[in-house]
Amino acid sequence: MRAIKVAAFVAAAASAAGGAQARDLTIAGWGGNYQDAQRSAYFEPFAEAAGLSFVETTYLGGLAEIKAMVETGNVTWDFLIMGGAELQLACDEGLLEELDWEAIGQDGLLPGAATPCGVGNVVIGNGYAYNTEAFPEPPQDWADFFDPEKFPGKRGARNTPNMNLEFALMADGVPPDQVYEVLSTPEGVDRAFAQWDRIKPLLQFWESGAQPVEWLASNNVAMSTAYNGRIVMAKREGKPLEFVWKNHLVNMDGWAMVKGSPFKDHLTAFFKVVNDPENQAKFSSLMPYGPANAAAAEFLTPEILADLPAGDNIAEAAFYSDEFWIDHLDELNERWSRWSTQ
Amino acid sequence: MSAATRKPGGGRLVALILLTVPLAVYAFLYLMPIGSVLSLSLDNGALGESLSHIRAADPADRDAQAAALIADMQAMEPGRQAEVARELNQEMSGFRTLFLKTARASDGIEPTLAGLVVADPRWGEEKYWQVIRQNAAPITWRHYQRATGLVVDDDGRITAGGDDIYLQIMGRTLVIAVQVTLVTLLISYPLAYAVANAPRRLAAFVLVAVLLSFWTSILVRTTAWVILLQTAGLVNTFLIWTGLVDEPVQLIFNRFGAIVAMTHVLLPFAIIPMMNVMRTIPKSQVDASRSLGAGPVESFLRVYFPQTLRGVGVGGGTVFILALGFYITPALTGGPKDQMLSFYIADFVKRALNWGMASALSVLLLAMVLALVALFGLVRWLSARQGGRA
Repeated sequence: MRAIKVAAFVAAAASAAGGAQARDLTIAGWGGNYQDAQRSAYFEPFAEAAGLSFVETTYLGGLAEIKAMVETGNVTWDFLIMGGAELQLACDEGLLEELDWEAIGQDGLLPGAATPCGVGNVVIGNGYAYNTEAFPEPPQDWADFFDPEKFPGKRGARNTPNMNLEFALMADGVPPDQVYEVLSTPEGVDRAFAQWDRIKPLLQFWESGAQPVEWLASNNVAMSTAYNGRIVMAKREGKPLEFVWKNHLVNMDGWAMVKGSPFKDHLTAFFKVVNDPENQAKFSSLMPYGPANAAAAEFLTPEILADLPAGDNIAEAAFYSDEFWIDHLDELNERWSRWSTQ
Repeated sequence: MSAATRKPGGGRLVALILLTVPLAVYAFLYLMPIGSVLSLSLDNGALGESLSHIRAADPADRDAQAAALIADMQAMEPGRQAEVARELNQEMSGFRTLFLKTARASDGIEPTLAGLVVADPRWGEEKYWQVIRQNAAPITWRHYQRATGLVVDDDGRITAGGDDIYLQIMGRTLVIAVQVTLVTLLISYPLAYAVANAPRRLAAFVLVAVLLSFWTSILVRTTAWVILLQTAGLVNTFLIWTGLVDEPVQLIFNRFGAIVAMTHVLLPFAIIPMMNVMRTIPKSQVDASRSLGAGPVESFLRVYFPQTLRGVGVGGGTVFILALGFYITPALTGGPKDQMLSFYIADFVKRALNWGMASALSVLLLAMVLALVALFGLVRWLSARQGGRA
């Protein structure tokens, strides 16, 4: 019933717009510098080789849009970049096209990057950053982030349990490779929340990745969790910010195609373009996130590599578990929002 | 003489009906989504149908239930299995993995409880079966139970044993709406008075200023407040420059910021109806009251103010109802303790993909508004009756 109503609405909108048949290839990304870099590294070379024109749109996470498109049969997006957990959920529920890995080939891809419906493409460092003018002695690790006496001042954080609980456990001394083992137990969850309790009065929650950069640069907060790419870009613009690499959490965003896309013939060609090490190196030189193809490192200068979640920077990193959060997000999200709103 | 007077009855009736067509279309377009939200909050049809063997199986016979579960799993497409698994996981963490793993191996599992326990020992735990049985029903109250924190125990009694987080948030939504309404009325009353009574030029200027902000996008106005009120923003810089404070004051991402921004957005909705009412009050009335010996305060309180109450009621009511449903402004200017119910509804739709829960919360919000409207109506009726007797 719901599907029919949405379909009727979409059909009316489409006929008003002059028919959806002859539309351009549509690529959905996370916007900002991130999407700008993807445009020059992937979209433009791909569109040129395929002889297509393309338009872009913004995807803000969640499965709602994709599910509505697939259920109503009115697919208006073709390629999109998603978080790993959502990519897997969408794939399992049949919302994404399956990939032919024999045709695409997976030379050089990091382990776990190639999945039935998508490919991990962008390696993101999730840590925290501080304003270098705020502290004479810079903070070193997560214990410092959660220590309000040693490092006073407001803290920026994202208002979600995922990643935040991992950070808290590492602050409490859990080694990076045991974080999910501890977090699977009720005691482990309590330990993580106990850390957040220590800095609860100092918290200011951000929604978009650009906010921590603005807040840190204007001394709105003393420290904030952040994506490495945003902080490095701000540093390059001369802002006095520094990213703490120790025990940061690495996750991967990946490309996928919405099921039923009229551009399915271009699936393999697009995935070849995004997996290409030279294209990935171009992306990483424009936007300081890591390549998912190890061979891309050859094409990058040491200065650029020093800013990426790769090499020495990930020596002490933890690796984000999509599986854990697929199972536990509902439950922990409820506990987190209860905690954060009270 | 005109046609209407020569031919009364039929023609006019048709014209009247034609005139109400837009209203009927509007009412339909308005009621249809409400109906679908209501049904979404109770409907468990999709999930229930996928578990139809379970629904038919004898709840006391464990092996029959195990066989029914496996039959249900085998009847589902792989995509459907994942969807069912995700919905069950909303009820209990870890259910997704358990369900998918079992469903994908279901062809090789012996259709008894023992067979399932061999496949995964968790099937030996009663809690998973409880969730499965609850979700096999075509209609569910589970979203309302979760939204209100009321739990139905084994004997069918309703107890307040659950988590009442959403009731607390609803209470907070109400409190914020009241706070915003009061502040808005306090600011807009004198403004409306000024527009209604000032010399024409000044009145026009104030009115244009009000309308200009009315025509500006809510998002722009909200963001402007973020820039003004932030730690290193204009207001704080000014306060420090004047020496009133030594350190920046926290003016945003808390209740203060949320109320300031919401009040600003809602001011025109209060000013315009009040101004219209005040314009109809003849100035001579206050003059008469003064000439009969009443002081300025008494004239205002006994002659002028009671006549403006209708405008205050319309303005205040509009602001209150609009404030109840606010989403983006408190999301951008409030802290986590200032988020209103709409924020959680949006979160359930977009992030958790739990439309049942989002619908249940929407229905509760609507019920709250209807209850308040009914309460206002009752108060008015009672006071009118008392007024009649006096």
